[in-house]
Amino acid sequence: MISALVASDFATPHVDYHALAPEIVLGVGICLLIVLDLFLAESRKWLVSTVAGLILLGAVLPVVTLGVIGSDVRSMFDGRYVIDNFSLVLKALFLLSGYVVVLMSSRDTEERTPYQGEYYTLLLTSIMGMVMMASARDLVSVFVALEFLSIPAYMLAAWRKRDSKSNEAGMKYFLLGVFASAVMLYGMSLLYGVTGSTRLVDIGQAVTGTDHLVGVQVLGIVFVIVGFAFKVSAVPFHTWAPDVYQGAPTPITAFLSVASKAAGFVALSLLVFLAFPAAKSVYEPFLWVLAAVTITVGNLLALKQKNIVRMLAYSSVSQGGFILMPLAVAGTGDARTSLRAVVVYLIIYAATNLGAFAVVMAVSRKTHSGEIASYGGLFNYAPGLAAVMTLFLASLAGIPPFGGWYAKFGAFKAVLEARTGAAYTLAVIAAVNTVVSAAYYITLMREMWMKPAPDGDESPVRVPRNLVAALVITGVATLAFGVLPGFSGYGAITGLAGAFGR
Amino acid sequence: MDILVFVCAAAMILCGALGVVTLRHPVHAALSLVLTLFGVAVLFVAQNAHFLAVAQVIVYAGAIVVLFLFVIMLLGVDRVEDLHAEPFKVQRPLAIVSGVALAGLLIAAVVASQHTNVAARGAGLPGVNPVRNDLHDGNIVALSKDLFSGHVLAFELTSVLLVIAVVATVLLARRSRGIDAAPTDGQAT
Repeated sequence: MISALVASDFATPHVDYHALAPEIVLGVGICLLIVLDLFLAESRKWLVSTVAGLILLGAVLPVVTLGVIGSDVRSMFDGRYVIDNFSLVLKALFLLSGYVVVLMSSRDTEERTPYQGEYYTLLLTSIMGMVMMASARDLVSVFVALEFLSIPAYMLAAWRKRDSKSNEAGMKYFLLGVFASAVMLYGMSLLYGVTGSTRLVDIGQAVTGTDHLVGVQVLGIVFVIVGFAFKVSAVPFHTWAPDVYQGAPTPITAFLSVASKAAGFVALSLLVFLAFPAAKSVYEPFLWVLAAVTITVGNLLALKQKNIVRMLAYSSVSQGGFILMPLAVAGTGDARTSLRAVVVYLIIYAATNLGAFAVVMAVSRKTHSGEIASYGGLFNYAPGLAAVMTLFLASLAGIPPFGGWYAKFGAFKAVLEARTGAAYTLAVIAAVNTVVSAAYYITLMREMWMKPAPDGDESPVRVPRNLVAALVITGVATLAFGVLPGFSGYGAITGLAGAFGR
Repeated sequence: MDILVFVCAAAMILCGALGVVTLRHPVHAALSLVLTLFGVAVLFVAQNAHFLAVAQVIVYAGAIVVLFLFVIMLLGVDRVEDLHAEPFKVQRPLAIVSGVALAGLLIAAVVASQHTNVAARGAGLPGVNPVRNDLHDGNIVALSKDLFSGHVLAFELTSVLLVIAVVATVLLARRSRGIDAAPTDGQAT
């Protein structure tokens, strides 16, 4: 038996430990948190959130050193796991937004949940899945990364076990997530069946040209895109989003609407740019329809919402449509511009949306309400909060000079560069929707600045320190990306993101 | 011979799948799932994937269906579930229409690509020696090589995922200590 194994030519895979360091730090950190939680006294549980934050920052460190050392592509396991500039930028994004979510959660979990250790363990696991997703260049790795980031998220959405809305959120997210996984897996197996490889690059070579596309290949591509459309809550696969966002604890809502969605877009870009770049006759019309419908329906539904979390949920559905837009012209337009537009949009949207949710958390500590009407008089008793919320809302609406403006600019630029009738139509639809979206953001601003407080209670809001830190990080990022595009490191980041190593 | 095996296995799979959907008693439904899984295992054997067939029988037909039966027993089989309650009247016809449409689409796609020379059809894992020697199934060697070289990272990380699934399940099933009672923030309506 042993002789047979020796005889078979097994080569030990080359492992580049420096390149894998972020994953290793996170993996060790997850185990450490589970053990640490066992030995901490109940009164010292707050340490868990601090340690979780430190683990995330510790994992950012190797990402930075890898970025500084060089721009050469580190490829492992036969090109199935690749560290290039694209993956480094997104790893940093996932880890830092994870850190902001930890900052947002710390006070909330201390006060309200007895299971802090498990909360942060699950959060870190989900982030680890996203970090993996950024490097995965193989259908198997993509799928494992997706399950890695989804399974803890199902549990986190159902975190408030006594709250029926949270139970509903967890259940809906789980059922629809599993359904989407099944559809996607079916598509992946079809793709593997017709191409004979799970590596994205091999699939890209096998799916060649428009005239050779086989029916099964088309189905595989469509099913895989549908699976990820669920993940990024593109209409008509968005139905889970508002209920889940409303039922989940607010920091988790922020996490799902930013990081989890970004991971879905990362996977979608990997597939579009690596696995089926030649099949643009299939994915472009499909993504075009998804983008147009997502932007429009998300906006129209957001207009009617009375609850701020639901409003932000539909607004994030609509923002997802803007990120789909460059992907819908990735084949006819310039692939580099499209990819860069997607990455830049993801970064800026992450900063802005996390910030908006941090303000929602701070305000609800006083008002204990999620109604938009409860934001009346915010400027009178909490001018700082009202100002940063205005910053985030203006950025989401795409008003210069805030970050969201630059993100939208990039998306429109990518679409217009395609120079086709369909692309121009999509740009017009998006432009009309940008104007419509301003309506509900401005409604909230008017509520904060003009209206009196609904119950006359004008005592100041006490914002916990960690939440202030989260607000400062996201606020500075939102402002800096808008005011100084192309300045200092930012130009380098967008430049990096364009280079897509294989 | 090949055709005969395929037709029998396909009939098993289809009958089992229909049974899962149509049978009223949950235990019967779970048992007809076993039929489907066995049919798939037979197809694997017909394709020379013996290892996969064994894994299919042990893991799916064995462990997972037993787990299903346990859950059904614990929940109680005697309770009558009224499956005719319909919150939306259009749902059922709509589901039938979209199901038939999807099936039609799949069949059309397979038929359309039937005559195309699809790259490396049925080639399976690279390096599989279809001629088995006396001691080993070539599949196992190829599978393990693939698992421990190309996919080793995904394979190792799956173990972490299993730990996390256990943590989440324990948490979900555990009786809470009553601190997480009332929702007081943005979600309250």
